[in-house]
Amino acid sequence: MTDPTNDLRLADDLRAEDRAVADLETPTIGATGGGPVSLVDPAAIRGRRQWPLPKQADPAAPLLVVEDLRTHFKLASGWVRAVDGVSFRLNDGEALGLAGESGCGKTTTALSLVRLLPANARIRKGSAIKLFGIDLVPKTETQLRRYRWREISIVFQGAMNALNPVRRVGDQIAEPIEVRLGESRERAARRATELLELVGIPGKRGQAYPHELSGGMRQRAMIAMALACDPAIVIGDEPTTALDVMVQAQILELLERLRRELGLSLILITHDLSVIAETCDRTLVMYAGKVAEEGPVRRIFTAPRHPYTQKLLGAFPNIHADRRSLDVIPGAPPDLRDPPAGCRFHPRCPAAMAVCHEVEPPEVIFPDGVRVACHLHPAGRDGAVPVTTAGVAARAAVVPEAVA
Amino acid sequence: MSATTSPTSPVLPTGSSLRAERWRLRARNARAFGARYVRRGDGVVGLAILLVFAVLAIAPSVFVGPLETATTATGASLEPPSAAHIFGTDELGRDILNLTVHGARVSMTIGLLATLITVVFGALIGIVAGFLGGSTDNVLMRFTDFFLVLPTFVLAIILAPVILDIVGTDAELFGIRATLLVIVIVIGLTSWATTARIIRSQTLSIRERMYVDRARVIGSGSAHIMRRHILPNVVNLIVAQAVLTFATAVFTETSLSFIGLGDPFAPSWGQILESAQSAGAPGLGAWWYIVPPATCVVLVVLSFTLVGNALDDILNPKSATRR
Amino acid sequence: MGSRYLGRKLAQAAVTIFAIVLLNFVLFRMMPGSPERVLLRNPYLTPEKVAEVRKEWGLDDPLLPISISLDPPSVAINAENQLFAYIRATLTGDLGYSLKFRGASVVDVIGQRFWPTIILIGFGEVLSIVLGLALGAYAGWRRGSLGDRLGSGISLILYSMPYFVIGMPLLLIFASALGWFPTSGMLTVGATYSSPIDQLLDFFRHLVLPLATITLGLTGGYSILMRSSIVETRSEDYVQTARAKGLSDRRVLRVHAFPNALLPMVTIIAISLGYVVAGAITLEVVFNWPGLGTLTVDALAARDYPVLQGIFLLLSVTVVLANLGADLVYGVLDPRVRS
Repeated sequence: MTDPTNDLRLADDLRAEDRAVADLETPTIGATGGGPVSLVDPAAIRGRRQWPLPKQADPAAPLLVVEDLRTHFKLASGWVRAVDGVSFRLNDGEALGLAGESGCGKTTTALSLVRLLPANARIRKGSAIKLFGIDLVPKTETQLRRYRWREISIVFQGAMNALNPVRRVGDQIAEPIEVRLGESRERAARRATELLELVGIPGKRGQAYPHELSGGMRQRAMIAMALACDPAIVIGDEPTTALDVMVQAQILELLERLRRELGLSLILITHDLSVIAETCDRTLVMYAGKVAEEGPVRRIFTAPRHPYTQKLLGAFPNIHADRRSLDVIPGAPPDLRDPPAGCRFHPRCPAAMAVCHEVEPPEVIFPDGVRVACHLHPAGRDGAVPVTTAGVAARAAVVPEAVA
Repeated sequence: MSATTSPTSPVLPTGSSLRAERWRLRARNARAFGARYVRRGDGVVGLAILLVFAVLAIAPSVFVGPLETATTATGASLEPPSAAHIFGTDELGRDILNLTVHGARVSMTIGLLATLITVVFGALIGIVAGFLGGSTDNVLMRFTDFFLVLPTFVLAIILAPVILDIVGTDAELFGIRATLLVIVIVIGLTSWATTARIIRSQTLSIRERMYVDRARVIGSGSAHIMRRHILPNVVNLIVAQAVLTFATAVFTETSLSFIGLGDPFAPSWGQILESAQSAGAPGLGAWWYIVPPATCVVLVVLSFTLVGNALDDILNPKSATRR
Repeated sequence: MGSRYLGRKLAQAAVTIFAIVLLNFVLFRMMPGSPERVLLRNPYLTPEKVAEVRKEWGLDDPLLPISISLDPPSVAINAENQLFAYIRATLTGDLGYSLKFRGASVVDVIGQRFWPTIILIGFGEVLSIVLGLALGAYAGWRRGSLGDRLGSGISLILYSMPYFVIGMPLLLIFASALGWFPTSGMLTVGATYSSPIDQLLDFFRHLVLPLATITLGLTGGYSILMRSSIVETRSEDYVQTARAKGLSDRRVLRVHAFPNALLPMVTIIAISLGYVVAGAITLEVVFNWPGLGTLTVDALAARDYPVLQGIFLLLSVTVVLANLGADLVYGVLDPRVRS
């Protein structure tokens, strides 16, 4: 008994057996189905808030504007430029899908909003994250904490581990209500039960522990927990990745229903384009820490402009297509400690030109609302207009297209 | 190994070029390993201390003269450190520096032998249990857990004299004195259970991976390939466990010798401390009798732990996160 | 807590205790040449005395309940056999008589030395658990600070030191050199006390150094383990969830990280009891503490096997029961093992 790591490993090994045996003896609880659906007027969404806006908020400002966000990680071998100049805007009631390969920076972007970053991460000066016009970047950790969960909450991926295994599910949902909102324990517990019912879990299942619930139920519970403080924005980080297809459909249905009933604004992070196609109004395609293309989902899926987006959609298995082969993108994502010069996609781009090796493509915006950064689409052609970060903020709110 | 996105696979080399390729790969791995090891400060310190003691253990006579000089009195009783005796003398007038250096060989040798027994036995049980599974696994694990719970030190204290009494203290096996052998066996008894459990859990996870991989790899399926997959992975863990077991072995040997189970003809650090205690050194303030062997024990145990930890981290990258 | 878990653990403990009793039997009755060379080593025993003792201990009865012989092939059931007699004796508290202390029953001999050891180990464990878990949690949560690295270094060194290696220098410094504490024993030899309080104070004076030794050793181990556990727990997803909820750092540690990091510690504290007992034995030698440890060493030197057996039985059963207690505590803390 001289090595701590070994001793812990031994302890785990001994308990794993106990847990495995108990696991076999425990039935898991499945979902019971969704609740009623109703339509809500998106324009009145801000008026529906249960709690007043933050004191510093500007009532006329857009919900969320991210300007030139740069988040870098310090490693022993250098700085990893995980997010390197991302701008976008989210309006009330919108669902934005962040798409891209693993490692493209989509999760880091979302986590930067609430600064849930590891100790070696830095949000660079010049970045701005404006929630109701309030810039969150210069805030201290203590100041920022006020906005966590109450304005922006997160549903983490693989809720397997995202719930505390030794506390009851209902208690975990009630916790932010009690601690952050100052409600009494009884009121918080009641509210937690309401939230569980809202997501389709019988209220008394709140007494269960996370391991007693199925994967789909856990994800629903996580969603209920994310709604606890009635936030303005809910971020879903790969909310369906760890689930099987049937349960995936149920979860997406739930999210859609909640959006309409509660007027939720969503940021969905996923590498699964079908999820975005089904649930989101707009999508932002990221590559190597930068924005490749952004715009209304319909437009991007039917007429992608950036070669990367085209490849992504081509790589997406189409159940109606005859061919079985995947249109795979050759090569691998670049090392973000030393990204390629010029356009970061140029080593893998089938349409790369000489200028792509040297000059970073500037962003332009088309009349149909799509923003692209690619030399194939320079300003002035097809009505493309150059974009400044201020321009992103000033973009007129696009009314979400009616659900087909 | 990340999958490449290229649809065509490379042509595999065969025969002697395959063997040469494998050696080149091993050399490259060794160099990479060395580079990663050096980056760990604590591992390097541990290794340095270890090397010092290894040298002392292999050739003590080079530094302080043969064993006889250690066991014959050369000074007055319980002399404090002086120019003639850097670490002073014990109650019989023997030089303590001398004794301590020679003690290195005894402690390290016993540690090595005990580690061999522990690791061989523990790994065997762990691998068999993990690989065969089912009721064999069950039975073996009940047996192992019994030894985990038991205060094996107390068992050792009973077992050693019983065996010695039955066999006779002068008996020898392969030229090794019974008293020495008994200590080695008894230390092995106390530490094999931990090793068995840890190696078994590793075997289990490899076995799972194996079945998944087998489903994917076309044309494989012989036991030959299974040995190629399981054994290399377990060997890494066995090596790391062996180093850590060594630390425990030295620790245990010192304790057993301290209460009088040591081989009187092979004075280890534990025995020096035992003599110190019997001579009343602590009460008399004879710190020079206690500090050298004690420091050696701590340094050796510590260094083995550091090296074992470093090895473990490098050879078993998943060991950092217990998921 | 889950009656099935409880039932399983109780059954395991019972089986283990039975196995220990069996092991004792094997060691002393079944090993080749064992009873004569081991139990009857006393050179002063006359042949008549030997025969008498053999009869008394039933050494001429068959060993096991079933005897199988091959020539002629037969199987016999023996109602009177040594194994049953031994089990019966053990269950009724008859552990035999000490070889060294003529006439004293093993139970009496051990009984006198039981409490000093329990007090030492008991206080030591309680103190170390409180200190070790607190220090370890703090260090692990605020890892990387100078205090953390220094503390971890010291803890690792302490963890590498057998208790007597910690105890001897302590004795040297604080008892020999400084004279603050006595150098040996539990009470001053030949002292008379004007009141029970005085005796208690004397006892405490003697207790300080051995207790400090065991506490240092154990705290070193527990704090470094707890630190590791907290560091690993910190990177778990549910801790990130808790931070995302905007909970204060202290609450995240107290409510989410600590209860989970505690779980492996319960198991470790249980497993390490065997080692603590080992360490306590050596520790008592250093301080001449009149407990089971010094008794063991004396019995070992005198080859007083009945006493050694009795100590083994007592310590093993105690450790098994303590492990059972730890299992029960674990069952309360971790809902995943209940069904």
